[in-house]
Formats: sequence, structure tokens, C-alpha cells
Amino acid sequence: MKRALPVFSVAFVVIYAFAVDFNLALFTYHPQLNEFAFLVERPKTGPAMYWYGWIATSALGAITVSALALAVPQSWTRLWSGWTWVVPTAVIIFFVNLLKSYFLR
Amino acid sequence: MTTTLLIIHGLMAVALLGALTHQALSVWWPAGKRTGSFLNNVRAVSSTSYTNAIVVLFLITASLGAFIYPAYRLGIRVVLQDYHLSVPEGAFELKEHFVTIGLGLLPAYWYFWRQPLSPDHAGTRAVLTALLAFIVWWSFLVGHVLNNIRGFGS
Repeated sequence: MKRALPVFSVAFVVIYAFAVDFNLALFTYHPQLNEFAFLVERPKTGPAMYWYGWIATSALGAITVSALALAVPQSWTRLWSGWTWVVPTAVIIFFVNLLKSYFLR
Repeated sequence: MTTTLLIIHGLMAVALLGALTHQALSVWWPAGKRTGSFLNNVRAVSSTSYTNAIVVLFLITASLGAFIYPAYRLGIRVVLQDYHLSVPEGAFELKEHFVTIGLGLLPAYWYFWRQPLSPDHAGTRAVLTALLAFIVWWSFLVGHVLNNIRGFGS
């Protein structure tokens, strides 16, 4: 069971990057109205918050990938442990690049 | 209510920052024994003893931050946009994503720090700890700056 934890971490950060880039939120929160809506919904009154939904999408996806990793023989999923920091580092660089316009205005 | 939670969030962040800094220094710049100097004592801690506390503190701090996040979106972000303060706004956007990456890293971090420590994964442990330390330092400093721009008491 524990061997799926590194798989979860790598899958979570990769899915999160995709969830943000393609706005794949499992739900939307409208803070002004204190309302939740399933999947992505446009802002109504005030802003719409997708961050919670992106986390939910990533967690669900990572749990699925981890379960699949547990279902196959351990030798199939034995990867270099360094992927657990190489992939998140790449995702951090991806977000810096994605948001660089804030710092270049 | 939000102010109280923000203060607790900040206090938890201080504890997390201290624990992660101790662990990162003890891994990257270890000291064999305590010599009495402050810097030496900071580095000469038992790094494994911090792991569970770091996981719990990260979860509590991030959860509190997530709970008060709507107040930022409704009351502070709009002000940053009105005043064209794009750098602090962007820094907070990065904080949001970095913290989420940190949350995702916690299972792997805990896995590689669990006892007995595997010598094969010493490098992975060290880099994961440094990544989490970077995320927490970034988040702490950005949160502090944002709070000074428009936060508690404004």
C-alpha cells in the first residue's frame, strides 16, 4: 500500500498542472454567494474560485493512478525515486512560466 | 473570525517554517555534535524527528489558508488589481500553486522519511525537504507581504 505514495505525489502534481492549464475543476465555488457548483461555472456575482475544484480533480486523478499502480505487479511500477522531486520541480517551473506576465508588466 | 484564523494560520506557518528549516539544514549542512554555538545547534538536530510534525503542520496551515482564502479573493485581490499591484498579486498566485504542489508532495515526503531510513533514498529525501522548505518560505514571505499591503486591521 505504502509503495503507492510516491506514485500519488507525482500523479497529483502532473494532473494539477493540467487541471489549472485547461481549467478542469471538479467544482466551482462562488465566494460572494457562498455557493458550490459541479464542474466549471462562469463567475456570477463576484469572482468564481476554481482552486478547490482543481485540488479535488488532482486528488481524484492521483488516487485512481495510485490504485492502478497497486493493481499491477510491483516490478512494473519500480521507478527511480528521483522522479518524486524532478517532476514537481518541473511543475514549479511550469507555473513560474505560466504566471510570468504578472512580473513583466 | 477571519482575523483570528489568519493569526492562527500565521502561527502555524511559523512553527512549520522552523521545523522545515531545522530539517533542511540538518540534511544539507549537518553538524556532527553540538558545540554550543547557535548555528551549530540549529544544524545538529535529529532530522527524522521532524517528519510527522511537518506533515501535520503543513496540513493544518494549508487547511486554514484554504478556509480564509475567499476573504482574500473578495477583499484584497480586487484592491491589488485596482492599484495595478501585479507583482504581489502574481506572487500570491504562485503561492496558491506552490502550496498545492507541497500538499501533493507530502505522501512521497513521508514515504521517504519513514523509519528505518533507506540509505538509497538519501538524495531524494534531501531534495524533497529542500523543495518543501522553498515552498513554505515562499508562502510565508508572500503571505506576510500581502498582509502588510492590505490585511489585518485595514
